[in-house]
Amino acid sequence: MSLATLTKDWAATSYGFLDASAKRELRRKMLKAIAVPGCQMPYASREVPMARGWGTGGLQATLTLVNPNSVIKVIDQGADDGVNAASIRRFISRVSGASETWDTLSATIVQSRHRVPEEIMREDQVLVLQVPNPEPLRGVEPNISIARQMHADADYGKLWLTLYEQIVRKGRIMQGASYPSMVNGRHVMTPSPIPRWDVPKLNMARHLTILSAGREKRLYAVPPYTRVEPLVFSDRPYLVEDHADLTCRRSGVSGFFMNELPQDGGGSVFEVSDSNLGIKAIDTAQGTPSEIGETWYRNGEFSA
Amino acid sequence: MAYVATRGGEKAIEQAERLFRQDLGTIDAARVETIRATMPYLIDRVMGEASLYDEELAALALAQTGGELSEAVLVLRAWRTTQPRLAIARPVQQHELLTQRRISAAFKDIPGGQILGPTLDYSHRVLATDVLLGKPFAPPSVNKAASPAPARQPSLADWQRQQGLVAPAKASAVSPEDIPDLTREPLLFPASRAHRLQSLARAETGGVLALGYAAMRGYGNAHPTVNELRIGEAEVVVRHPRGTEFSAGRVRVSQAEVTSKEKGGYLELGFAATFGWNEVKVIAAATLDLNSDEAPVGSAVHEEFYLYHTESVEASGFCIHFKLPHYVTFQSILDAMRDAKAKKAAAEAAGETYVAEPEEEPVL
Repeated sequence: MSLATLTKDWAATSYGFLDASAKRELRRKMLKAIAVPGCQMPYASREVPMARGWGTGGLQATLTLVNPNSVIKVIDQGADDGVNAASIRRFISRVSGASETWDTLSATIVQSRHRVPEEIMREDQVLVLQVPNPEPLRGVEPNISIARQMHADADYGKLWLTLYEQIVRKGRIMQGASYPSMVNGRHVMTPSPIPRWDVPKLNMARHLTILSAGREKRLYAVPPYTRVEPLVFSDRPYLVEDHADLTCRRSGVSGFFMNELPQDGGGSVFEVSDSNLGIKAIDTAQGTPSEIGETWYRNGEFSA
Repeated sequence: MAYVATRGGEKAIEQAERLFRQDLGTIDAARVETIRATMPYLIDRVMGEASLYDEELAALALAQTGGELSEAVLVLRAWRTTQPRLAIARPVQQHELLTQRRISAAFKDIPGGQILGPTLDYSHRVLATDVLLGKPFAPPSVNKAASPAPARQPSLADWQRQQGLVAPAKASAVSPEDIPDLTREPLLFPASRAHRLQSLARAETGGVLALGYAAMRGYGNAHPTVNELRIGEAEVVVRHPRGTEFSAGRVRVSQAEVTSKEKGGYLELGFAATFGWNEVKVIAAATLDLNSDEAPVGSAVHEEFYLYHTESVEASGFCIHFKLPHYVTFQSILDAMRDAKAKKAAAEAAGETYVAEPEEEPVL
């Protein structure tokens, strides 16, 4: 027996790029975040070889969760072949040996920017959402120390007031994506900028969702089977984007969240935002059956 | 087709990176060495912002990014974060610094003397255009002083403490292992002084200058008097596992101490230090430190404001991330806007008065 047989060969970086102390901190913070759903946990947020604001928070969470048996799906705006999604997926697989996939059903970890896949995720899957701004109160209170106190006091009056003012001024709540949502009846979170269409998917979901903001150094979680309720008034129902009746011009699927493509001479056509769902539909139509899992929306109605 | 959903995306990004690198050409050790040897102040600035003292790596980072400073700092920080923390060096004391330059604007002369050292402060800023006409600029040689300045200088603040002008230094009861380390802990507010000074030490020079200048010009409440400004070299003294202390080498450092007015019977001091010789940064940073305690929450000279917004890697990364596609969030905004317009049109068609409010962006 010699030292060489007891130790690993020298390597430029640790397994999964992050060193053990960084991963330990992240694991602890993830456990804490799961224990207090929706509550933002500060973490050191190491630099990674990618610019801040380009998914470094999600990347650190994924690099901590990943192991060689993991199957990684990374999407940006719903698409697996988005320039940044491809770059992140390649990096994760290069430093961890995990395999890559575009298929939501076969992934063990789905890292995403701005979307939740349309196919229902399972207990054995983790969704990692990249978050630019973790603070739902930023718009009403830019100072982070004061906002922290407001969360501690569950003081969300200013947020409610903003939503009310939008109704008075515009006739409806104008919040686009990142719709403020109450988690487990206690903490309001910003569900990363996923569209309103995707927020109901987090409510009582089977999967664990980790939301991680690398630049702002905060992470929070929605554990499985946890309530996620958008802030709404009892006489003003929550409105998802009016996409239920749109049809994808390429795949023919309808009743899912769409990308709008403006056309010369006016008007628009639409393409399904969850690009791999579209690909599966096209494959199936062309005679290569490709399994589409159960979806959260059926015929444009949320039904999970 | 938008650029995100095209299958050619991966090929295109690979070629785009190739184009950038092709423009820079082959990077070899000679190029790195030239940058290191000829641009010491640029190297210092990058090492300070990266909080990584290694001239060769800093020069390499500049070479491979073509001098794109925020990219250079990012690659260095990303490399640094993978390195283990082997030891904690002994704290550097002012009077132990090998001091090359040390000035005070508070007194005409100070114990130990004013040492001008290397500086462009009093030079005429004239471009040496003759160089371009084939006449190399060979700097005239320096006439040595009759007696060399002492290599180490006492701290002016120590003298001021003896005179009762500056509050006695509080003995620090923190063991080396417990010194907060910003690179391994989140920055929380109110920040510990250690975190504040560490964050300023690695802050972006231009950003610190902008906000420090704002504080000096009138958006803070301090006209700083430079109590003592130093550039020098510090020994990095670490302890061998067997217990012997030894110097692992020297690093160039800058530090500034600024003061403005009396508080509680003593002169207040603001302080900043950074790797490398970067005087403008430490004076601006020390001014922000000096202003901090009385700064109104939310003002540009409040610590939460200036520490967050001078973080080079975060600021530049967030700024360039707006080039990424945002059409899901944009689609969501469009949907709400179209629906609101439709509701308004329907109300007007039905003859109801619709109270038009001034157009406003939702604040969330």
